[in-house]
Amino acid sequence: MADQREAMAQLFLERDVENFLYHEAELLDERRYEEWLDLLADDVRYWMPMRRNVKLGELEREFTREGQDVNWFDEGKDTLERRVQQILTGVHWAEEPLSRICHMISNVQLLAVTPSVLEPADVTVKSRFLIYRNRVETETDILVGKREDGLRRVDGHWKISRRKVVLDQSVLLSKNLTFFF
Amino acid sequence: MAIAGKRRYTGGLVDVAAGQISREIFVSDEIYAEELERVFTRAWLFVGHESQIPKPGDYFVSGMGEESVILCRDREDRVHVFLNSCRHRGMKVCRYDEGNTPVFTCPYHGWSYATDGKLVGVPYFREAYHSKLDRSQFGLVEVAQLEIYKGTVWATWDPSAPSFLEYLGEFRRYLDLALDAWDGREGGTEVLGGVQKWLIPCNWKFPAENFSGDSYHNISHRSVDLVGIGPSGSGRRDMRERLIGRRLQICFPDRGHQTGAYVLPNEEPTPPAYQHSPVVSEYFRRCEEQRRERLGAWGRVTGAPGELFPNTALHPRQPRSIAVWHPRGAHRTEVWRWYLVDADAPPEVKDFLRQYYIRYSGPAGLTEQDDMENWNYAHAASRGTIARRHPYSYEQGLGFEVENYEWEGLRIPGTVMDVTDSKSSEHNLRNFYRRWAQFMDANSWDELATWRRRP
Amino acid sequence: MINVRTLEPGTRVALTDGSTVEIVSNPKDGIWVFARYLSSPRDTSLVGTEEMVFAQDMVEIQTTP
Repeated sequence: MADQREAMAQLFLERDVENFLYHEAELLDERRYEEWLDLLADDVRYWMPMRRNVKLGELEREFTREGQDVNWFDEGKDTLERRVQQILTGVHWAEEPLSRICHMISNVQLLAVTPSVLEPADVTVKSRFLIYRNRVETETDILVGKREDGLRRVDGHWKISRRKVVLDQSVLLSKNLTFFF
Repeated sequence: MAIAGKRRYTGGLVDVAAGQISREIFVSDEIYAEELERVFTRAWLFVGHESQIPKPGDYFVSGMGEESVILCRDREDRVHVFLNSCRHRGMKVCRYDEGNTPVFTCPYHGWSYATDGKLVGVPYFREAYHSKLDRSQFGLVEVAQLEIYKGTVWATWDPSAPSFLEYLGEFRRYLDLALDAWDGREGGTEVLGGVQKWLIPCNWKFPAENFSGDSYHNISHRSVDLVGIGPSGSGRRDMRERLIGRRLQICFPDRGHQTGAYVLPNEEPTPPAYQHSPVVSEYFRRCEEQRRERLGAWGRVTGAPGELFPNTALHPRQPRSIAVWHPRGAHRTEVWRWYLVDADAPPEVKDFLRQYYIRYSGPAGLTEQDDMENWNYAHAASRGTIARRHPYSYEQGLGFEVENYEWEGLRIPGTVMDVTDSKSSEHNLRNFYRRWAQFMDANSWDELATWRRRP
Repeated sequence: MINVRTLEPGTRVALTDGSTVEIVSNPKDGIWVFARYLSSPRDTSLVGTEEMVFAQDMVEIQTTP
């Protein structure tokens, strides 16, 4: 019985986390940025390394390092809030007029749960993203990659405590990164 | 190297005296092909930083114009820059971005080159070539000249180009503002790990002119000024210099380099900055103090964005970086940005700056994002048949340039426009295009090295 | 077929021309190794010399270190 209870809890947790990620994507795509910020823990780390082409056997050099190297993003909530504020000024020309953005989130996998699936307080979840951005007339970007998120249970709700974004590009093919992953 | 033949570019397209420049030079594919030859094969170009290849065998793949090059350190510790293309059939001999290797081997037919460029491996040399191929003639193509200046590596394909220091001329003092330690010690900077590389849909001259000294486009950064990302928590930068000093645009007409700068009054200390962090703020206060002691009156000069002709942008301070605008066709540019810090700054200072740099610059930088939007759609809207008939205007401050500018006992090298009161000028932009046109017109470096002809 | 990228120094390899070489160092380009000739029926003067040896010329691993 205990095994079955745990299996059910695992299933429930997986759906719960998936729903959370879909809800988050919904807020971003619907441009409900302030509600999106509320999903982030105050101490959130938002990191997107750059990538290098390196030889097999030297793959430890593939990614730029969090907190040490230049990255695409390596920041906390303060800067993320300023990004939102900037979009909402209405004079941030790189996002004015606003882009049309669609986040496709898939391949959701729970990598770790602590202390237990029965009482999950922190989970590590990996997923794939495909972000479509279309702006002004014909300008279109498609960005594909992986995310690894830390989610924390706070007052009965999930908060994102860290996000690692791995974009499957080395030279960035988009002129800028004015949106959220 | 003499270049001649029928040309799409003609002199009338760049009229610096009238402050008018045709859109053709930005959007014409034919002119683009000509500038690859006339500008990019003859000028000195930034390749990378010595600190990226500290050990023998280390390499970093970079670019010169449209071409891929390998910056590497050979077994004898000599630094080289090679064209990244096999002499046999052209395949890239290195498709990694960086690493360490004893040889660069072409994956196509297997020709292999040592890190000094020599061809050392030819499959079936004895059988297929009957041992007759003169391998000494088929080393990797190497740049004609290379110079390492305070850690930065520069190269040119043109053996007749003047030396790098002669190419710089007196602009060297402004390049030093980016490369010297903040306290004024020579050299003393290193690059942070990670070179940002991204594509923008515009001609490379849009960013090049912007960094030459487009002091007029501040309005386009209003959104970031409103939300505040500066090191002291507001605005974009800490720039109280502008409230007490003179704001200058400085260019070198015979060289094509230009930069902004601030000059502080005599007896007035540099205003405090970086006040979000006591450690960082104290570091810069102490550096500024030592800088004044070490450099005397020149210590009153503070750098601002500049452009070393043709495609290297300098951000000597806040955020301190070097960018290269790699041409990728007339309508596309690949930007590479290296970030600099004082090599011996405390870790907390480096980390503070690193975070500030990436929230300011690059594709995710709250400031630079808006630049890319402007360059993108300025270029797109200039391609039409009707649009091309109407030249851009560069008339700000025409005729107000000053030679031998001096303020409170400090003479400033270069041709200077004091924009403290006028707010803006297009003086430096005209200078960039004046030099660009000279490169497009001149058939040899004898014509381009005009300073040598002075009495 | 030998993946020359994985050959360690000290490995002895037979070549198509009947020579035997010992790997001195491996640049791990998968195409060449630096090796010393132990024997060569084609040219005895090669014995003891160090040459770059091409992957397609290597037939068989004789001994590993």
